[in-house]
Amino acid sequence: MGTYLKYRFLTLVREKSFMFWALAFPLILAVLFYVSFGNPAGDGMGEKMQSVPAGVVVTEENPPFSAFLEALDGDVIEIKEYEDSQEAFAALREGDVTGVFTVKEEPELTVDGSGLAQSILGELMEGYEQQAYLLARAAKDHPEGVERAAAAALEASEESGVREVSLGGRTTNTGVQYFFALIAFSCLSGAYLGIKTCCDGQANLSALGARRSVSPMHKLKGILADFAVLILLHYANVLVLTGFIWLVLGVDLGSSPGWVLLVDLAGTLIGVGIGILTGSISRFSFSIKMGLCVCATLFPSFLAGLMFGNMKYVIETRCPVLNRINPAAVLSDAFYCLAVYEDYDRLLEDMAILGGMSILCILLAFAAVRREQYDSI
Amino acid sequence: MEEKTIVSIHNLVKRYGDVLALDHLDLEIKRGEIYGLLGPNGSGKTTAINCLLALLGYDKGSIRVFGENMEPDSYESKRRIGVVMQNVAVFEELTVRENIDYFCSLYVKDKKRRRQLVEEAVRFTGLEDHLKKYPKKLSGGLLRRLNIACGIAHRPELILMDEPTVAVDPQSRNHILEGIKKLNEQGSTIIYTSHYMEEVEKICTRISIMDRGRILATGTKEELKAMIGTGETITVETGGMTGEQVEEVRLLPGVVSADCQEGVLRVQCTQGAGNLTGLLHRLEEADIPFGRVWSQPPTLNDVFLEITGKRLRDRKEEEEG
Repeated sequence: MGTYLKYRFLTLVREKSFMFWALAFPLILAVLFYVSFGNPAGDGMGEKMQSVPAGVVVTEENPPFSAFLEALDGDVIEIKEYEDSQEAFAALREGDVTGVFTVKEEPELTVDGSGLAQSILGELMEGYEQQAYLLARAAKDHPEGVERAAAAALEASEESGVREVSLGGRTTNTGVQYFFALIAFSCLSGAYLGIKTCCDGQANLSALGARRSVSPMHKLKGILADFAVLILLHYANVLVLTGFIWLVLGVDLGSSPGWVLLVDLAGTLIGVGIGILTGSISRFSFSIKMGLCVCATLFPSFLAGLMFGNMKYVIETRCPVLNRINPAAVLSDAFYCLAVYEDYDRLLEDMAILGGMSILCILLAFAAVRREQYDSI
Repeated sequence: MEEKTIVSIHNLVKRYGDVLALDHLDLEIKRGEIYGLLGPNGSGKTTAINCLLALLGYDKGSIRVFGENMEPDSYESKRRIGVVMQNVAVFEELTVRENIDYFCSLYVKDKKRRRQLVEEAVRFTGLEDHLKKYPKKLSGGLLRRLNIACGIAHRPELILMDEPTVAVDPQSRNHILEGIKKLNEQGSTIIYTSHYMEEVEKICTRISIMDRGRILATGTKEELKAMIGTGETITVETGGMTGEQVEEVRLLPGVVSADCQEGVLRVQCTQGAGNLTGLLHRLEEADIPFGRVWSQPPTLNDVFLEITGKRLRDRKEEEEG
């Protein structure tokens, strides 16, 4: 068995294209993230955001909108009041303010250019308009409750500037989340190695597969040996990535490095497991299996919010069970447990789910190849 | 089943959709044989081998190897079998030595024994000078030798060789054929499929002729040749003959067929004495000048031609095709 493991390891390590995608590509992405977003622990996006300077001109009385702006002043925005529009727009042109709110019956926002600060002002304006619409409807349909609704809306506005704080007292740092997502992606990309290894053993895909299929090696033993080699190899890949992010790029991945390594291992298990299961479906060609693998990793990643942050929340509100069985969601939840919640019971639960799923993948793969015969070769 | 019988295939039927690939195939192979499966491309040889190895499912029939039903999980039987695939089946990422050691390790656990077997396989295939090379650095012939080394290193009792000499240069081909004979002498039973009749004729102790998924005839090469009407083929270089003169030759006693193209007269005769003297006497009588004369016993191609009404594709056609 030792010889088998050694040579399987060598065949994978010497396969340059697969090693590129499994190891080099995530490292490159990490560098790109770092260059694009900066160090979340340093001066980049993770740092507390500075207030956006905004001019305000009152042309008509609109107490709710004025109250809304007042609630945001000093935190999200820094208000500079102007006597008239001309003065305000001159300040805008000179760059003293990022945008100008005109207070009137239907309030307006004027910005000069585009960027993160302008977008923040735009989001605030849009949020207010939505609330104003709801309040107007409430006043029309339920005039008796409009006062309460207005109070709630104001409270919500004030909360929009509040920083999220984890249960463990750690700041929710969106920048770090990107790096956790990258590690999760890297774990799941072990699936490609799993497919490659399985296809090497399938008689309908290659003469090499035929030769391995007629050998006396027990199929379950073969799958477990391949699984062990892949775990060893890909875990090393993920550790290199984690170490690179942590030690070279200097990104703070939390106060529990041991737990991060364990979550890396759980992620590697599920990534490779998915690959071995997908690769064991004998009816499909290699390219179809690779396509399936892309779907089996990217789609769950999408649902888990690794590409679009709110998706996981949307799933949680509409179909929570999906988040419990989606390996990418469980994996990202495990990282959140470390970085945000600091909830180790939940972390252990996530890791148990991932381990169970990995075992299930291996057993299903064995069932698929156990007495496998082909219709044609 | 007799103890001497290693492989027994009975009434095997395999279909690919509407195509009948194996048509009630029966085979029995005894220990110590070099058994040749001879047939043109698409005759069902490889399908039969793949069914025998439990790689392909089949529609009907039974396959027994070493007295046991052959199934995908017949691991003990598989341990005693070696396979040399038609296509080269080695890892591109491993060197020559690593490839042989890897495939041998699937069969032999003991390291010391395996080292010895790998050395033997290397010597046997003449790969001593290429051990550290990767497969992509090897010539076609050396690659085929590596393919064989990977299949036989564990000293199997039964070796299945599926067209191992396709696209191989003559030097490597001779090396391979001599090697197969040696393996047989060392105790391995060999099933050898090919569409090259001269190879089969050269090394096989028993031959089955296959076409359209059926076994048409089985026997030693002598037995097969005795099955057909042609006993010898006489070829005569003449200055040219008219159709009438050729027809007169055809009417001679013992002549099965006669044909003259570009001055070369080819006469197929039944077995028996006096065919050559009778023919030459007739040519002298007709005042037809002739030069070189030679007589050949029938070939497997003649056998195939007579049984199926068509020729096996010869090597030249294959290479051109």
